[in-house]
Amino acid sequence: MTSTSNGLYLDGLAMRFGGVQVFDNVTMHIPPAQVTACIGPNGAGKTTLINIVCGVFKAHSGRVNLDGESLAGIRSHQTVRRGIARTFQDVRIFPYLSALENVLVAMPNQRGEKLRHLFRPGSGVSAEARRHRDEAGALLDTMALGGAADRPACELPFGQQKLLSLLRVVATGARILLLDEPASGVETEMIARVTALISRLARMEGRAALLVEHNVEVVREVADQVVVLQGGGILASGSCEQVLRDERVITEYLGRIYDA
Amino acid sequence: MNTLQVLAIGLGLAGYYALVAVGFALIFATLRIFHIAHGTVFITGGYAFFLLHRVQGFGLILSGLLAIAAAALLGLAIDKAVYLPVLRRGGGLFSVFIASLGVSLIVEAGFLAYTKGVVSVARTDMLDILNAGPVAVRTLDLAVLAIVAVLYGLLYLWLHRTKVGLEVRGLTDNGSLAAVVGVNVDRTRTHIFLLASALAGIAGVLTAYDMGINPDSGSRTLFVAVVAVILGGLRNLLLGTLIGSVALGILTAYAGFFFPEWVTFGVFVTMILLILVRPQGLFG
Amino acid sequence: MEHLLYIGSLMCVWIIVSLAVNLVIGYAGMMAMGHAAYLGVGAYTAASLNIFLGVDYFSAMVIAALSGAVVAVLTLLPLLRLSGFYFALATLGLNFVFFDLFHNLAPRVEGSEGLHGLKLPALLTTADTRFMTTLVITAACILVATHLVGSPFGRLLRATRDRPEAVSAVGKNPTTCQVVVWGVSGALTGLAGALYAATLFYIDPTLFTLNASILMLVFVGVGGLASIAGSILGPVLLIAFTESLRFIGLPSQLLGPVQQGLYGALLIGLMIFRRQGLVGKHDFHE
Repeated sequence: MTSTSNGLYLDGLAMRFGGVQVFDNVTMHIPPAQVTACIGPNGAGKTTLINIVCGVFKAHSGRVNLDGESLAGIRSHQTVRRGIARTFQDVRIFPYLSALENVLVAMPNQRGEKLRHLFRPGSGVSAEARRHRDEAGALLDTMALGGAADRPACELPFGQQKLLSLLRVVATGARILLLDEPASGVETEMIARVTALISRLARMEGRAALLVEHNVEVVREVADQVVVLQGGGILASGSCEQVLRDERVITEYLGRIYDA
Repeated sequence: MNTLQVLAIGLGLAGYYALVAVGFALIFATLRIFHIAHGTVFITGGYAFFLLHRVQGFGLILSGLLAIAAAALLGLAIDKAVYLPVLRRGGGLFSVFIASLGVSLIVEAGFLAYTKGVVSVARTDMLDILNAGPVAVRTLDLAVLAIVAVLYGLLYLWLHRTKVGLEVRGLTDNGSLAAVVGVNVDRTRTHIFLLASALAGIAGVLTAYDMGINPDSGSRTLFVAVVAVILGGLRNLLLGTLIGSVALGILTAYAGFFFPEWVTFGVFVTMILLILVRPQGLFG
Repeated sequence: MEHLLYIGSLMCVWIIVSLAVNLVIGYAGMMAMGHAAYLGVGAYTAASLNIFLGVDYFSAMVIAALSGAVVAVLTLLPLLRLSGFYFALATLGLNFVFFDLFHNLAPRVEGSEGLHGLKLPALLTTADTRFMTTLVITAACILVATHLVGSPFGRLLRATRDRPEAVSAVGKNPTTCQVVVWGVSGALTGLAGALYAATLFYIDPTLFTLNASILMLVFVGVGGLASIAGSILGPVLLIAFTESLRFIGLPSQLLGPVQQGLYGALLIGLMIFRRQGLVGKHDFHE
């Protein structure tokens, strides 16, 4: 049991929109080198949790800590520098950039993005750029997007855009990845690659992943721990086995999926 | 030049702004189009009046009515021939704005070529002046204010009592929703452009009669009207535009007397500040 | 012949301006409608330094570029929180604000409306050396712009144009990007202003009005958004075309209006039929 001062720790979060209480007292730990899945019905607030961590919304009460330090007041472009990156359900890739450029633009600390390096000969900009292009190309290949590298991202079908947004967040190098339904909309043959990638990120690279998902198979395949968010709070949490066999979870949530 | 006199002059100017501003506000509020070419509709009314009355010698009323009709038709033509094609081919509202700039360039160029920059005054006789204590007021100014009052009153009735007017108000609240609920957007659009352009045409006729008109007058008057609309806000269109026009009229009159070199500067700094601080206006 | 060299120099000046404007509109997606102000700042800075303080013109040009950048950034900062359309409207207002500033506060030579009497160095005095020097400077600007847009910074610019919130999501600050490119754009425009003053030998406020900003839009719009080639093509084609109007027998007082009318028609035609311009790489969806 890792101490909560490692990784992302959400402590007693409560959120309200107007008069509607989305959830109160949500506490969960997203440790490094593990995949934490968050499941629950639509509207339970799963995406809202991601938004709170990334500073898009301010929680009504509660704290968010990263490696023991508070994330209070963080602004959206600072999250990656602190080591947290997220994907969006509606993708939000850069439509008129090519697939390759979408990945390239996410890579951190590029000399070529600073004017003072661009016009100084010998500052290593082109060598770095070449290296980045190779890395980005390799990333694209993991999701069979190599062939589409130079096409504008808006021309790709939705499933491939979804994969691209996943690769983009990986390219940021962030230690903590908040993935909002990475498998939904993706073609079935590619889902195995998605789960393989997420597993590798956690087990081989030691990154922490929070997976918001509806696809129970994906959760079963890749999650180390599962948290069920429902009815304004956490219904159950624990290992995959425990949660997916939990009576309450089955009746309240899974039952509905399997019956449908 | 005492301050009351300047105030009176300001109110006179406000009348012209009010006529141009309300049409602009109507179009922006309902269709979200920044109809910068509205200024050229204004000067078309003025030049048509000048041509008909001063050059061709038609009677005052006839020239006025024909000029107003010309302005109304021009405004409608701009929408049909320029704005709608842009929108239909995937252009957004900003593209419409650029196209509107293009229209302004063309119409102004036309009048520039015709007049070679000389101011065209349509009136041949002197205006009567009334003296009310320390203030000298021209009968024309009183007439303009009366016309503005009547027209605003009619506009109010139109917006609140007629079918088309209610549809227009529906568009103000939510353009796309109105389309869903079965409002004939095309027909309402035609009404809006005709009406707004006619009002601008009236202002043009009166200005040509009063101090004369030149190709620049269009953009100058239009931008002041725009600031008046931003100031007044779109929530309560008639009242907001009226108050904004009065404020701008007084402001430009004062500035015109005490800082004549800085009037344009003042108007546009006001506009930028308004956009920064309170774009929804006083009543938004 | 001297007239041709003069036209060539003018084309060069407007190529630099078009590069500057295309950087912000085509690559960064910022609707710049007030760059005439920065052109004027550059022109007046260089001309004033040279005429009244005897600064040599090449140094004056460098200072003009710097002042263009500074004024550009200072005028941008308050406008950054404005969304697309209001931003455009505010920059449009800058034209009029700066016109009055130039008209009322800018130095002028006694007895005239503007500035004249530049003391130009050898490389800029005769028509042919002036054209060559301007051409070389323009080529340098083209190289700088090309290097910029092809770099990771250029890529970040386009990402900022496409989706600023996604730029934040990958950990980069879209606002910094916008300020930097606007500053570069201001510097280029300021430099062009200084060259403009040297080419015309006379400047006054009427050169730096909304009409100039609209002209910039037409050049970039015709040439094409987000394209270096477009920024060259637009001004060259249009200036060549308007020059040719002189030869078809139009009376000289009609030249101005005809030109203006044509530009208006071009803007309309572009917005209806081809928003990306001749060789542009970005279609304008807004």
